Amino acid sequence: MQNAVVLKGVTKAFGDKRAVDDLDLVIPRGSLCGFIGPNGAGKTTSIRMIMSILFPDQGDISVLDHASALEAKDRIGYLPEERGLYRKMKVGAFLRYLGRLKGVASARLKSQIPTWLARLDLEGVEGKRCEDLSKGMQQKLQLIAALLNEPELLILDEPFTGLDPVSTRSLRALLAEEQQRGTTILFSTHMMAEAELLCDRVVMIHQGRKVLDQTIAGIRAQFDPRSVLIEPLDPSADVSRLKALASISRIERQNDSYALRLQEGADLAAAMRDIAATVAPAKLEVQRPSLEDIFVQIVTAGSQESAKELDIHAPAVTEKGRVSA
Amino acid sequence: MKKALQVAAREIVATFTSKGFVIGVLITPVLIIISALILSKAHLETPPRVVGEVAILDPTSEVTQGVTKLLSPAAFALRRAQDLELVAKNLPVSIRALALQNGTQTLPDAAKKLVGEVPELHIQKLAESADLKREKQALLGKQEGPSTRLALVIIEPDAVRRAAGKQDFGAYEFYVREKLDRQVEGEIKTAVRESIIAARAKAYGMDPKEAEYLTDVPWVESKGVTPEGEQKEHAAIAGLIPFAFMFLIFVSVMTSSQYLMTSTIEEKSSRIAEVLLSAVSPMELMAGKILGQFVVGLTVLLVYLGLGLIALTSFALLGLLDGWIIFYLFIFYLVSFFTFAAFMAAVGACVNEIRESQSLVMPVMLLLMLPIFLWVPISRDPGSTLAVALSMIPPVNSFFMLIRMASSTPPPLWQIWTSILLGLGLAYAAVWSAAKVFRVGLLLHGKPPDYRTMLRWVRMA
Repeated sequence: MQNAVVLKGVTKAFGDKRAVDDLDLVIPRGSLCGFIGPNGAGKTTSIRMIMSILFPDQGDISVLDHASALEAKDRIGYLPEERGLYRKMKVGAFLRYLGRLKGVASARLKSQIPTWLARLDLEGVEGKRCEDLSKGMQQKLQLIAALLNEPELLILDEPFTGLDPVSTRSLRALLAEEQQRGTTILFSTHMMAEAELLCDRVVMIHQGRKVLDQTIAGIRAQFDPRSVLIEPLDPSADVSRLKALASISRIERQNDSYALRLQEGADLAAAMRDIAATVAPAKLEVQRPSLEDIFVQIVTAGSQESAKELDIHAPAVTEKGRVSA
Repeated sequence: MKKALQVAAREIVATFTSKGFVIGVLITPVLIIISALILSKAHLETPPRVVGEVAILDPTSEVTQGVTKLLSPAAFALRRAQDLELVAKNLPVSIRALALQNGTQTLPDAAKKLVGEVPELHIQKLAESADLKREKQALLGKQEGPSTRLALVIIEPDAVRRAAGKQDFGAYEFYVREKLDRQVEGEIKTAVRESIIAARAKAYGMDPKEAEYLTDVPWVESKGVTPEGEQKEHAAIAGLIPFAFMFLIFVSVMTSSQYLMTSTIEEKSSRIAEVLLSAVSPMELMAGKILGQFVVGLTVLLVYLGLGLIALTSFALLGLLDGWIIFYLFIFYLVSFFTFAAFMAAVGACVNEIRESQSLVMPVMLLLMLPIFLWVPISRDPGSTLAVALSMIPPVNSFFMLIRMASSTPPPLWQIWTSILLGLGLAYAAVWSAAKVFRVGLLLHGKPPDYRTMLRWVRMA
C-alpha cells in the first residue's frame, strides 16, 4: 500500500534495441515523481509498460497493488505522449465516452464535464467538434479526459510539450492540487526545469537504464554545491585577484558574472566571506547544479557507474569563456 | 465485457451517423425502392383505349377477311382472356397458392390493367391501285378518332400462294404511326400472320383449324425429379435466388469489415488508440469494435434482406423461399463476418493509412471475390465435387454453401453443419490471432508489416 508503482528488473527490447534495460523503480504513494531523460531514453516505453499497453520481456510490474494496470485502469489517469482525439466527435461526447470507459457514472459525468471545462478555461466548447479546437485546447481536453475519473495514479507523458506559458503555469497548479488531493503523479519530461520546479522525486533514465533515482532534497544533498557565483559591484574590478584565495580552484566567466569553483574540502561559509572581502559583490550566491547539469554530467560520462567515478561536485558545464585559475 | 459493449456502442453510432453509411447503405436502397415503385406504377398505368383504322392492301383478297375477324373487339376480348388464363396456368404453384390464400385478385387485376382496354380497330380495305405514298402519309395525320390511321398492312401478292418457280411464300409489309401502343401493334401483326397462315392452308386444301393444331406446341415447364418426388422448376428465379443469398452475405460482410478496418486505421492514425488503451485492454477494444461492426453488418443484411422480401412479396413470389435458408443465412453471416472482421481489424491495426492496407487486403479480397466468379457453375451443378469442396473450405465456405442451399438441389444437413463448424473453427482462430496482431500493431508506427511479420507477432505475443 506504500507504493503506487513498483518495477523490478523490467526489460523491453524492440528487435535488437533494448528500449528499457533492467529498470527498477519505486514510486511511493502521494509522491509527484518526474521521469526525466532525453528523447528516446525509454521513458514512454516504461510508461506504456506501467499502463499495460506494452508488456515487458522480463521483470515484474505492480501498479496500485495489482500485478497489472489492466486490473486498475479505472483508478489511473493517463495522458499519452501522442495526443489523440476523435476529430469529428463533439467535445462533450468525447469526454462522456472516455469517462464511461473509465467507469464514471453518466450522472456524475454530466456535472463533472462542465466543471472541468470551466476549470481549464474551455467553457462553451462542449458542443464543438474536437477538430475545431486549437492544439493547446485539444491538449487541455485530453488532460481532462485523464482526470475525469479522479484517479489515484496520474501518469502524464510529456504534459508540458506544446503548452504556452500561461497554460504551463495552470498545469503546474493543477498537478499541485491533484497531489494535495492525494493523487500519486508520475510525469515524464525532457524539460528538466519543469521537473525541478514540480517534483519531490526524480528518476532519470538514459538509453533505457536508470541513472538517477532520488528525492529533490536528496539530489541537493548528494550534488553538494561547490561553486559560487559573483557579480562584481564594479564591472571593471580585477576578478583575477580571487585566484589568490586558497579556497578557489578555478574561475569561469558567465556574462557579467563569474563562477568560482571551490577547492575540494573548502569551507563554503569561509570562502563566501573571503570572496566578498576580495571583490565587492553586487550579487554573491551559491550556485546549485540544475537537474540538467547533473543529467548532462551523468550521461556524458556514459553510465551511472562511471558517473560515480567522476567528480560529481563539478560546477555547471557552460559554453561561456573560461577564466583560467 | 461492459467496456467492450461501450466501445461497440460508439462504433455503431459513429458508423450509422457517417455520411458514407447513410448515403451508401441506407439512402441507396430507399432510392431503389422509390425507383421501383415509380417504375411499377408507370407500368401498371392502364394505357388509353386504342381507337383507329388499320388500312390493308390485299392483292390476294384472301387475308383481309381473317384480319377483320381477328381484330374485331370480340376476338380481341376472347384472345386476351385466353392469354390471361394461359399466364395464370403457367404461374408457379406457390404463387397461385399464395394468391388464393390472400383471397385477392391482385394478379389478374394487374394483368388486366397492364393490357388495357380492348381496342376499337376499323379495317380499311385499300384498292390495289392505291397510292402507297399517300397511304403512308396518312400515318402522320394528327387527328384522333375512328378514322385515325394507325397501321398500314401491305400483303405481298405471293403471300398466300407461291409464285411460279419459287419455294418460299411472300409475306407482308407493316407500317405504323409513331407511338402506337406496342401491345396493339403486336396484336395486329399476330392477326395478320395468323390470317396469312389460315389463307395458305385453305389455298392448299387444308383445314385452317387443323393447320393451327399442327403448328401449336405449348411451352412447358421443366420438372425436376428428386427422391422426394417431382418438382416444378422455375429456372430463372431458381438461378437468381442462390446468387441473391450469396450477394446478401457478401455485401454485409464486406461493408462492415471495411468499416472496421477504416475505423481502426483512423483511431491509430489520429493517435486516439493509446488513450483508449489506457481505459480498455486491447482485447476489449478489438472485441468492442468487432461487435459494433457485427451489428452494422447485420443491419445492412436486414435492410437488403427486407428489400428482397418486399420485392418477392410484391411479385407474390415469397413462396419460393424456404424459411430455413433465412435462418442459415444469419448463421453463415456470423461465421464469415467474424473471420473477415478479425482479419480486417488486424490489418487496420498494422497500417497507418488506407493506402498501406491495400497490399495486405488484396489477397483476401480476391478470395472474397471467388464466389462471385464461381456462382454460376456452382449453382448450375450444386452437387459437384468442386461445389462440395468449396462449401467446406473456410473462409469462402459460407458463400458457396448458401449458393448450394438456395439451389434446386440443396445439400444434405450434415454437410451444412460440417461447413458451419469448420467456419466457426476458422473464425475462432482468426479472432485469436487478430487479437495478438492488433495488440502489437496498434502502437506501431512506420513501415507496415508484411504477412510474415504478422505471423511472427501471432507466435510471439
